[in-house]
Amino acid sequence: MRRIAIVEDEPAIRANYAEALRRHGYEVATYANRPDALAAFRTRLPDLALVDIGLGDDMDGGFALTRELRAMSATVPILFLSARDSDFDIVAGLRLGADDYLTKDVSLPHLAARIAALFRRSELLAAPPASDDIVERGALGLDVKRLTAHWNGQRVDLTLTEFWMVHALARHPGHVKDRDALMRDASIVVDDSTITSHVKRIRRKFIALDPGFDRIATVYGMGYRWGE
Amino acid sequence: MKTARIALSIRAQLLLVLTVFLALPWLGVEYVRELERVLRDAQERTLAGTAQAVATALHDRPRLFAQPADPIASFARERVEDGSKGGTSLPPSASPEIAQIIEGLSRTTARIWVVDREGTVLARAGTLKPVPEEPPRGSWWQRLGHATVGRLYALVLEQPTDDFLDDAATQGAPRGRDVEGALAGILTTERRPTSDGRVTVVSAAHPIWVGDQVRGVVIAEETGNAVLAERNRAFERLFNIVLAVLLIGSLALTGYATWLSSRIRRLRDDAERAIDEQGRVRAPLASSGAGDEIGDLSRSFSSVLGRLSDYASYQEKMASRLSHELRTPVAVVRSSLDNLAASSLPDDARVYMTRAQEGLARLTQILTRMTEAARLEQGLSDVETERFDLVPVVAGCVGGYRLAYPEAAVAFDAPDTPLLIRGAPDLIAQMLDKLVANAVEFAAGAPIEVRLTRDRDSAQLTVANEGPPLPEGMRDQLFESMVSVRAAGGTTTPHLGLGLYIVRVIAQFHGGAVRAENRDGGSGVVVTVTLPLASVI
Repeated sequence: MRRIAIVEDEPAIRANYAEALRRHGYEVATYANRPDALAAFRTRLPDLALVDIGLGDDMDGGFALTRELRAMSATVPILFLSARDSDFDIVAGLRLGADDYLTKDVSLPHLAARIAALFRRSELLAAPPASDDIVERGALGLDVKRLTAHWNGQRVDLTLTEFWMVHALARHPGHVKDRDALMRDASIVVDDSTITSHVKRIRRKFIALDPGFDRIATVYGMGYRWGE
Repeated sequence: MKTARIALSIRAQLLLVLTVFLALPWLGVEYVRELERVLRDAQERTLAGTAQAVATALHDRPRLFAQPADPIASFARERVEDGSKGGTSLPPSASPEIAQIIEGLSRTTARIWVVDREGTVLARAGTLKPVPEEPPRGSWWQRLGHATVGRLYALVLEQPTDDFLDDAATQGAPRGRDVEGALAGILTTERRPTSDGRVTVVSAAHPIWVGDQVRGVVIAEETGNAVLAERNRAFERLFNIVLAVLLIGSLALTGYATWLSSRIRRLRDDAERAIDEQGRVRAPLASSGAGDEIGDLSRSFSSVLGRLSDYASYQEKMASRLSHELRTPVAVVRSSLDNLAASSLPDDARVYMTRAQEGLARLTQILTRMTEAARLEQGLSDVETERFDLVPVVAGCVGGYRLAYPEAAVAFDAPDTPLLIRGAPDLIAQMLDKLVANAVEFAAGAPIEVRLTRDRDSAQLTVANEGPPLPEGMRDQLFESMVSVRAAGGTTTPHLGLGLYIVRVIAQFHGGAVRAENRDGGSGVVVTVTLPLASVI
């Protein structure tokens, strides 16, 4: 049975999430603060960690915990869950090695789906790719099973949210995807400007590999389009 | 009540204070006048002394006054030529003995007459008009001084001159009050102008005694030129010093005032720069290390700005902190509802479940909007700007609105030429989203006009609707944070009055402005955003 660690200071949320995930068939361990969680991780690593950024008085405890957990294991999926939704926090969290970032607005079914996807990705990373799971759009390759993206054969390190956004755009090149559609496809609930900053981050990641990258076009007032 | 004030810079004020020093020349004039009085007295005393000395040599020598006198007229005629020549050669003297005695005095600047009781000239020596000397050639700056300041003095000061009418040369021996006094046996001095009034002649008359009888008079005459020249010299020297002091003083004071006011100006500029157009503290003021009052002022400015900045950041964090604080309980409710939904519920409970979910969705929307403005403002500092054409961006947005609001007819009008501005197209789109969303809601199905025009060196973006007019007095506050003119209730989407505030923030970020007006004549509101065009490089 897969084991999920929830590190969250709010008891009601902790209990609700734990219950919901148990219903989905996971084994759940909950911790209210960083020292407890860290002590438990030292004994046994979880299969996935769901970490809140602010842990009581420890304002950035989640960040510190992620750093320590990432140092223990490079592969264990880490999912940030926070009441904060500023770009700064998102970027900081992802830089520390978190695999995805969700705000607490997320509904439990969405959360469960996201966790399932993360497990799928970590599982299948090692397995050989099956051709039918690959979306090829010119230089772009998307492995829907492993949830990985490639550009000119190079791995593009996208978060799950970013992967689903690229997937939504690239599946129908030339079609304009509005922000609502992107949110639906990436199963995130954020406001328009967060979509804008997500798209900016995606562009930057591609540009880091290929300075000439210009496939994601902004269609003002409508959304975004994958250009061929 | 505000009274009109004369704006005087510190420099001007200090120069005004400097006018106190203008009392210096007045003091100088008083001093020179006193000096002149003393010199005149001394001159009179000297002349009296000369007359007395000559008279002393002639006392009690009756033989000298025994000869019959020459007619004065013939002598006087010859004097005309003599006076004009200014020579010292004596006319055939009426009394060669006396002439011999006073011969030695002919080299002085004074003129000595010896006359008898009848006024007959017995002898005469010296002249009132000395041989003009070649003035010494000074150094170049002295000459420059003479040519400039000296000329100025000449205008104000009475100048000694040798060009005057010597009355005695034409009319014979003087016969003024002094002579009368001397004939009466008293040493008398007199000061009188020449008949043409160009010089003052000072004369002293001393009686010549023979026994107890006055037999003649010695008259010593001199022009006031020497005193005048001395006075003028003193006056010029004094004035040169005063002028130099005034000049150096005002230069020093002007320099000092310039330095002072430049420090104050710099402080003012720094203080103004420290706060941006929206009133936020941009950067803390570097406090000055100077120990004087301006340094104190700078330090207190710096600390005030620091506190202001603390307060502003507290305020800015307020909304996001509030939303953060609220998000956690919302998450509790949401996760509880989700768990509840996963369990088996009776059908009548499902209705309440749905309502609770709807309420929660609205609450979440409010929280998101609350942070939108704060996050936008935070993000503005690292927005990358580019030069772009406004027309396709707005046209694209309008295309989107036609899809998004099928019930509202969106009319669009733009010029054929590009309108290049510098900024972020994403932000312009976000701003237009807010404007159109507002307009759609107020128009309630009526058409909306989006118009782009060029007004000299700025682009004007107007969004007009046919909704109810704005209440008077709200127009200026409309673009403030948390101000809404919507009637409370009746709408399903929450309104925090942040939409138009975001419009203003974005317009100001692009160096533009936004205003709202009621449409002429009928109902409806026009919101105009003015954006400066990018300079063509």
